[in-house]
Amino acid sequence: MATDIIMPQLGESIAEGTVVKWLIPLGGAIEKDQSLLEVETEKVDLEVPSPATGVLNEILVKAGETVAVGTLLARIDNTASPEVVHRVGGVVVRPVEPAAPGEEHHSPAVKQLAKEHGVDLTHVKGTGAGGRVSKKDVLGFVSQNAPAGKASALAMERSMGEEVLPFTQMRKTIAERMVKSRQTSAHVSTFFEADYSSVVAFRAGRHLTYLPFVVRAVTKALRDVPIVNSSWGDQGIVVRKDLHIGIATALEDGLLVPVVRHADRKGLTELGKEIGDLAERARSKKLSPDEVQGGTFTITNHGGFGSLFSTPIIHQPQIAILGVGAIQKRAVIINEAIAIRPMGYLSLTFDHRVIDGATADQFMAKVKEYLEQSHWEQIL
Amino acid sequence: MDLADVTHEIKRGDLLHMYYYLRLTRTLEDRITALYRQGRIVGGCYTSHGMEAIAVGYASALEHDDVIAPFHRDMGAFLIRGITPGEVLAQYLGKRTGPTKGKDGNVHMGDLKRGIIGFVSHLADNLPVATGAALAFKMRGESRIVVAGTGDGGTSRGDFHEAMNFAAVRKLPVVLFCTNNQYAYSTPLRYQMAIADVVERAKAYGMPGEIVDGNDVAAVYVAAKHAIAKARSGGGPTFLEFKTMRMHGHSEHDPAKYVPRELLEEWKKRDPILAAERLLIELGYGDETYFHEVGERAKKEVEAGLEFAEQSPLPDGPEVLEGVFATELNDCHHANHSRSAA
Amino acid sequence: MTTATQQATGEVTYLEAISQALDEEMTRDERVFIMGEDVGAYGGAFRITEGFLDKYGEWRILDTPLAESGFVGAAIGAAMMGMRPVVEMQFADFISCAFDQITEVAAKNHYRWGAAVPMVIRAPFGGGVHGGPFHSECPEGWFFHSPGLKLVAPSTPYDAKGLLKAAIRDPNPVIYFEHKFLYRRIKATLPQDDYIVPIGKADVKRSGNDISVITYGAMVHLALEAAEMLSKEGIDLEVVDLRTLVPLDKEALFSSVHKTSKAIVLHEDNKTGGIGAEIAALLAEECFDSLDGPILRIAAPDTPVPFSTPLEEYFLPKTADIVAAARTLAAY
Repeated sequence: MATDIIMPQLGESIAEGTVVKWLIPLGGAIEKDQSLLEVETEKVDLEVPSPATGVLNEILVKAGETVAVGTLLARIDNTASPEVVHRVGGVVVRPVEPAAPGEEHHSPAVKQLAKEHGVDLTHVKGTGAGGRVSKKDVLGFVSQNAPAGKASALAMERSMGEEVLPFTQMRKTIAERMVKSRQTSAHVSTFFEADYSSVVAFRAGRHLTYLPFVVRAVTKALRDVPIVNSSWGDQGIVVRKDLHIGIATALEDGLLVPVVRHADRKGLTELGKEIGDLAERARSKKLSPDEVQGGTFTITNHGGFGSLFSTPIIHQPQIAILGVGAIQKRAVIINEAIAIRPMGYLSLTFDHRVIDGATADQFMAKVKEYLEQSHWEQIL
Repeated sequence: MDLADVTHEIKRGDLLHMYYYLRLTRTLEDRITALYRQGRIVGGCYTSHGMEAIAVGYASALEHDDVIAPFHRDMGAFLIRGITPGEVLAQYLGKRTGPTKGKDGNVHMGDLKRGIIGFVSHLADNLPVATGAALAFKMRGESRIVVAGTGDGGTSRGDFHEAMNFAAVRKLPVVLFCTNNQYAYSTPLRYQMAIADVVERAKAYGMPGEIVDGNDVAAVYVAAKHAIAKARSGGGPTFLEFKTMRMHGHSEHDPAKYVPRELLEEWKKRDPILAAERLLIELGYGDETYFHEVGERAKKEVEAGLEFAEQSPLPDGPEVLEGVFATELNDCHHANHSRSAA
Repeated sequence: MTTATQQATGEVTYLEAISQALDEEMTRDERVFIMGEDVGAYGGAFRITEGFLDKYGEWRILDTPLAESGFVGAAIGAAMMGMRPVVEMQFADFISCAFDQITEVAAKNHYRWGAAVPMVIRAPFGGGVHGGPFHSECPEGWFFHSPGLKLVAPSTPYDAKGLLKAAIRDPNPVIYFEHKFLYRRIKATLPQDDYIVPIGKADVKRSGNDISVITYGAMVHLALEAAEMLSKEGIDLEVVDLRTLVPLDKEALFSSVHKTSKAIVLHEDNKTGGIGAEIAALLAEECFDSLDGPILRIAAPDTPVPFSTPLEEYFLPKTADIVAAARTLAAY
């Protein structure tokens, strides 16, 4: 059996009324006396209670339409089980009251999404029950306003086990710089292998890490091939006279590159002390701004955790960076015989705008030579 | 029992072994009672005081690989199967070194390696389980048997009847017994059943039944031995009713004022340890000196057990979450650790 | 045992799948045996063990006395002594006679003294067969709450066979709820070789984005029917078949609800205190930030299962209920 819902006469002189909105969706269950729709006339705005219990299975007049009093608006099917009401959770049939402005209640999912995407919910149009903002509404808003090329679909795929770590300043800076550097320079890498025997022999019994030796070899090689100590300027390539070597230092949450100024003027001991001091102050966040500026060449000791080769990113506005790989005993051929030597790879990334492979290799050959054959006691 | 029958049926060493266990059971349970009264044992405290001959008697008639499904008046059986006084006291004190690691208390101990099926508080639940164990042995053609029992109260429960029936229908290798100590908590026998002897129930299930003097360890042993042999040889189940008296309350907190004093006085004279001593003297197996020495040995064993239990750690709170589910099957084919004659 | 149906179409019914699982496990492992009322000479009230007595003999297919407590207790004892009994409850409704043995002995044994009870109790449950109050019950709620038991409820022939095998091979007591309404009404072609469906893993029977319908047993099929109808209206249901009730596959549930943000829990058991209540609470606790609407439960009203047809129809959840609820939740 069906019950007709007609446009009521809300006042003697009223001849027509407007359907403002249906409070129950098509096919939804409704109970007798429960509010079914909102109607507006010249005089009054009110909710119409349902005359029957059943399922709203036909809507003939849509929201926004104005019709004459007595017009058939909808039909309720009473034969469909009203039991749906008790069987299903109570909220199914209780319509959501539209909220007063400023008092909107947002579901947890909506709040979470808004936070993630930085959406101001007051800007989002709600199409859910009672005019509430639904998850679909937020996602729709995001995809419409997303920057070109950015997939908001990713955000919709929320799976278990996701945690959002807010950006730190350092992380943002590193991210910016790394990407910018790659976009600026033409990065090419070349790899050499050095025999650290003389270094190892000299280190024995002394408090020196490998880095001071590498720094010394580098500064000497830079003197031999000065164009590696330059940067790309507006007018041309700017070759620097001073050698300020940056030492990439890993921190708990990022990295810094403190600079050893005039590294060519310092002996091994002094280099060792200064590198150690800079690293310590880098980690305890006690460096001054000018200690991380002005470098002309950078060394990154990536071998600490066992890495053999690397393709480091150039520290702008420099044009090259040297990666020092882990030192391992290897079998090598010396004088037609197999010997065991402490070997390590040196990885140079250079800016191909400024120098070509031949120059880079020339420089590296010198670094290798100096590492392998220096009289260390003279520059202690 | 006739002395001649005793010497025919029971080896001297076995009888002395049983006497030791009567003393050990009594000493251990007296210690438990004392600890309870001192407030050191909490929860329920049920003993078999005055009824020790039943458990000691039937447990002594078992083979290595046999299995028991006892109830709470069977402390002697636990000991003979190899649960040490130390483990028992650790169990009562809720320590991690007890057989249930603190998960359950008092006599609710079980260990498949020692052939003991741990029982629950719902009396007679152990009986269908026992028939199932016997079913497994029969299915696999093993010559192992099961002995299981409950009190007079337990025989009112459906599970008692379902177990008796199933055991008889399938002719299972099980010996079912009732320790009729005349009271189920405060309920005397006449409110528990309309029959005078529980053994009459056996006939109803088509099972042979026998009344045995529960305070005569030799009689218990012999009856159990024969019933076990019958089960082992495929002759099916037997029901044994052990007549005895509950000398303490239902539990140690129960003064049992509902038991007439005269009844207790009468049964005191029939104390199983006194009875065993009389028997040993008559047979020339022992004298007062020997009894005293056995008593000292039992005391020492119990005190050593108490020390072990006291030194043992309590479990940690989070251990409550362990062991809900099994990750592997049981090793149940070898019950060992039965202790040989002293 | 290949049935006539299988030979004709290559498909087996839900009931035949159960029978196959039993047959294959009995052959594979001599410790497995079946016990229950009328399982032997009669072949089982539902004919699941037809022919088994001849094949396996009376000491592996035991016709028990009418004593559920007694024979479940016996199964426990046999299981502890190294056998792998599969107990058949003629109807799940009779499991209450064995409630004590199941919840006090079987469930607690391993926890208390380390003895595993590797047994399975098969319980034909559910209504829609004019069975009345004692042949249509869904008793899983009572055991859901008993730590130490595992409960499974397959909805398809594939799951029925695989889960029964897994249950038989599990060292814990498992209650296997087979839905009697599904016995001969659903068919499928099954893999030839041995396979199990792991206990503790739910299965998304239909993937969707709008609403998660979490359910088990015969209701799975109603949910799929509702999903078909609603897809035409642009409402996309995801149907999550629990398959295992204890332990619940929480990861699958949370993952589904995190995706859809809306949930309907559906079961044939009475509403109050049914498993749905636990699932709704879990979702509210663990998925709160993902919810974009209330968690709904569709279940039978809180009454015994009635006999008369109009009463039983009113009682059982219907596809229309799921459709109506989903429409309203989708519009929320």
